[in-house]
Amino acid sequence: MSITLDQVTKRYQGAPVVNDVSLEVAQGEFFVLLGPSGSGKSTLLRAIAGLTGVDHGRIALHGQDVTHVSARQRGVGLVFQNYALFKHMTVGENIEFALRVRHMKAADRLKRRRELLRLVALEGMDDRLPTQLSGGQQQRVAVARALAHKPQVLLLDEPFGALDAKIREELRRTIRQVQRELKITTVLVTHDQEEAFALADRIGVMNLGRLLESGKPDELYARPATRFVATFLGAANLLLARQTTQGIRFGSTPVRAHPTDKLDGGREHEVVAVLRPEEIELAPTRDALRTNFIANGVVEELVFTGALERMRVRMTSGAAEGQLVSSGAENHASSAFLDVTRTQYEHRAFPVTLQQSVAVGVRRIHVLPTPLSSYTACASGPEAAERLARHPFLAELAARMKTRIASRVEPTLAAPDRNVAASTPISGVAVIATQNNLLQQSEWLLQNGAAELLVLPSQAAPPQRVLIHWADDSARRSTLAVAASVLRHVPAEAVYLGILPGAADDAQKPLGVRALLDARSEAQSVHGLEMRTELHFGGAAEALNRQLGESTDQMLILGISSLQQLRDQFGAMLASPVPYSLMIVYRPAKELEVNPRLDGIRDTGGAGERAALS
Amino acid sequence: MASGPTKEMLAELASRPGRDTIVSTFIKAVFIGLSLLFLAALLFAPLVTVFVTALEKGYEMYFESFRDSDTIAAIRLTLITAAIVVPVNTVFGIAAAWAIGKFEFRGKSMLITLIDLPIAVSPVISGLIYVLLFGAQGWFGIWLQEHDISIIYALPGIVLATMFVTFPYVARELIPLMQQLGNDEEEAAITMGAGGLMTFFHVTLPKIRWGLVYGVILCNARAMGEFGAVSVVSGHIRGMTTTMPLHVEILYNEYNFVGAFAVASLLTLLAVVTLIVKTLVEWRTGYTRTK
Repeated sequence: MSITLDQVTKRYQGAPVVNDVSLEVAQGEFFVLLGPSGSGKSTLLRAIAGLTGVDHGRIALHGQDVTHVSARQRGVGLVFQNYALFKHMTVGENIEFALRVRHMKAADRLKRRRELLRLVALEGMDDRLPTQLSGGQQQRVAVARALAHKPQVLLLDEPFGALDAKIREELRRTIRQVQRELKITTVLVTHDQEEAFALADRIGVMNLGRLLESGKPDELYARPATRFVATFLGAANLLLARQTTQGIRFGSTPVRAHPTDKLDGGREHEVVAVLRPEEIELAPTRDALRTNFIANGVVEELVFTGALERMRVRMTSGAAEGQLVSSGAENHASSAFLDVTRTQYEHRAFPVTLQQSVAVGVRRIHVLPTPLSSYTACASGPEAAERLARHPFLAELAARMKTRIASRVEPTLAAPDRNVAASTPISGVAVIATQNNLLQQSEWLLQNGAAELLVLPSQAAPPQRVLIHWADDSARRSTLAVAASVLRHVPAEAVYLGILPGAADDAQKPLGVRALLDARSEAQSVHGLEMRTELHFGGAAEALNRQLGESTDQMLILGISSLQQLRDQFGAMLASPVPYSLMIVYRPAKELEVNPRLDGIRDTGGAGERAALS
Repeated sequence: MASGPTKEMLAELASRPGRDTIVSTFIKAVFIGLSLLFLAALLFAPLVTVFVTALEKGYEMYFESFRDSDTIAAIRLTLITAAIVVPVNTVFGIAAAWAIGKFEFRGKSMLITLIDLPIAVSPVISGLIYVLLFGAQGWFGIWLQEHDISIIYALPGIVLATMFVTFPYVARELIPLMQQLGNDEEEAAITMGAGGLMTFFHVTLPKIRWGLVYGVILCNARAMGEFGAVSVVSGHIRGMTTTMPLHVEILYNEYNFVGAFAVASLLTLLAVVTLIVKTLVEWRTGYTRTK
């Protein structure tokens, strides 16, 4: 491996800007770090270069640990967005700088300079000053200069940021060419997905300091695992759907086609479906569709962009009931819009005009393997439910997840009664405000179909640290899936707390450590989630309370496999209103045993069935 | 570049106000005239007066006044003081600007405020501080006397007071410059393997040279011309502890106008020469670099 990052964390004023990033870049690979501004990608690049120290973790170049080696000794080539050329030196002097540092003979320097200028197609420009060159030429000089001392790793920090489109493309080609010719391991940071696709052997998508996913461009595009990657890498329509034995159902409209991903289990549950705009087909009537019908709609926006025609279709029936979450940021929760792109060919086959009614079909559906689909704010009265739905942390979480918050009035919540069942099973994550009869409310909601329950104190802020604990191993898989999903949308550090009874003897300790390692490796391999682990002794509730009391701005994700567990082990914690955000993940153990071929990351419980079982 | 207007030309064109925004050339003339008038009244007239009065009684008298041993001592003292103060404050200014421009640390804004202090404080107070510290009745007075070290009413006192008054000049000039220029070039140099000294002399210093030259010139002008603070610590011992500004005052009080204005004219000349040197250096280097 040419570059190895192991759990690299960098904090700025307490908050992690790079959060537990592990990554391997192979020799000669062109790796692109893609993310919005503020996602920590530049900080990560600077950490690799050695210009920024890390607070935690290890960095190795070519198998050699360089975590504590200065930037000067690391011998990487770095190219900045603003070129950072030495303005008082000529192009030739700039390129020779690294060689002069190394006391290379003048003749050799000249030879190398010629070589490099040829490489970046700037022959004969030796005596120009940087100010006499265009932006594109300056950046070429910067690339040549970064390569002068034959670094084994080339790092580029948004190298095309300051250039206009035409030159950008040209320079992009040059850089790709240079990289291929020298077979140099390269990491490029950008926020431009087009650039990432054009250059990368492999793309890593970062958000909120975390490396969410990495993979080949086409694979990431076709099969993203997270909402963020689905919408950041190209455009995507996110729709809430229900997964049933027959396949996917949008509202009451079943889609018979087999989704591209194999669906597990036979239980019905809410999922997030990704529909790429180019996979959507329009036709005058439902019968004229060659693909699976999902909705009827009206064309609301129509933009001609040359090769493609972009439009926005408002769904009037069918999938519209399923509530849509569009990648278009604004008012995504209330309206059911679909982004559609069509080629000229498709346009000629079926020209549409504004306000025309169309039938909408879809060629390909990708279901995200995320357990958190949507939120339902539950309260005993309508005002309380509304207020809860507007909770700032919840709103932020939902906005980041690009999902909706429904509110639901359950009068029974005022005095939860085991014998009163909810009219319909609760779908998505149930959200309640923290209060006195928390335990009873939690039990009732979990009994009535909620697989995840989020308890929010009125002042809850986005946490800086997320503690993860599960009551027994059967809850591990689902808890980790939920934790991974939460942590992709919250800039917090993750800590798994393993707790052994206070009376644990020495024979049990290795088992405890083993459990920690298992948890870590599963989080890493299945979810790409890096987390720290801690082993504590004593009663579970006391140990957790101790940790949660350490500082504010924490969140607890608690996995249980039976309601009895919740009452016996954690009842004491829930006896009074909790001051932290709490996510309870409930998967009945029995059901897991019945269904051994669960896919791990997609084991959201079948709501209806569970209600019947318990 | 091959053809077409250069980027600089276009930028300059764009930065000029459009023809319609200026009412007429008349207004332009009025503005230029006003500026010149102010300059004439406030700058040129006194300058002329200095030279006219100095040369009132002929060149002989003018040069005669420089043959006076006290005057020569005053000139020497002024030059020595400047020769010590300017380099020291240059080093200090670069160090302070470097620290403020490149690092984040606690008390940074406090440091910036402290650097400004000498500008805010009256020079007389600056002088008094040293008298209170090192004077016969001062905190270290007894100790200094026991060890036979004289600071007040001697060269060390004058140097200290001048240094205090002039230390903001280089730093003030460099701090905004360094903050604005950023660290990219230095960081690039470091990743290429350059050490601290090499980075400083080959990357940072060329970047900041104009700001530095300007700061040094301001510092030098003030160091040679400082009156208040030096007056307090010098003790006005003729031929021993009088700098040029102090000597001008003494001569003036003795109604030796020619002598006073002759020294004043020399002081003025020194200032003018430094400004001309600066402009020359700027122009020559700028010329070779952009062509």
